[in-house]
Amino acid sequence: MKLFQSLFGKNDGIQLVAPVKGKLVSIKEVSDPTFGEEILGKGIAIVPADNKFCAPADGTVTTIFPTGHAAAITTEDGAEILIHIGLDTVKLDGKYFTILASEGQKVKAGDVLIEADLEKIKAEGYDVITPVVICNSDEFSEIVPKAPADVSGEDTVLTLKK
Amino acid sequence: MKEFKQVIKDPVGLHARPAGLLVKQAAAFKSKITVSCNGKSADGKKLIMLMGLGVKQGMEVTCRIEGEDEDAALETLQKFFEENL
Repeated sequence: MKLFQSLFGKNDGIQLVAPVKGKLVSIKEVSDPTFGEEILGKGIAIVPADNKFCAPADGTVTTIFPTGHAAAITTEDGAEILIHIGLDTVKLDGKYFTILASEGQKVKAGDVLIEADLEKIKAEGYDVITPVVICNSDEFSEIVPKAPADVSGEDTVLTLKK
Repeated sequence: MKEFKQVIKDPVGLHARPAGLLVKQAAAFKSKITVSCNGKSADGKKLIMLMGLGVKQGMEVTCRIEGEDEDAALETLQKFFEENL
């Protein structure tokens, strides 16, 4: 069975790359319990060091919030990934966020979805930590986060297995 | 088929936390649960679809429940909406 899986490349699982350059931390370090307690699903968080937030895998843009502070991608393998830029940033009501993709759009890993003016968001007192969570975590047998480190676009941050 | 309507009181609308909690409640039932607002509909068990509705404070949502455990689901979800949303 192992040989069979490796022949078809399934043993590697679904690899998600960092949606933004920055410092990867455990999702448990996110102070908002919605994320920290994994109510929305399993994942990781990144303290962003760049203003560009990109697709972490090839897929379709399922949702971009009109407020621009979060986006969701569904990969071809059916993983539903939510990228939430900062905590409580829904309250900014779109200020400092520029939406660069639209719902239903096909994207490749690394395509820019949203630009955020992190300095201004921080200046208004918001934490810019960006949780990246798998909303349908229950559909995967394993979700393996990368250990905390500095990451950029080409680094795998999560590996999912069906 | 059961249905109820509710005007959203939460100042941030049906966003991450309340939507996540709603999915947890909905997933416990076998019935098909559909949340509609503003001419759009979403599967009540799919978080990213629910959040994509863009439900804001003051908007009225309709929750439709269809299936073998619809009575129990109606009771639980209606209570959840009243207390959390």
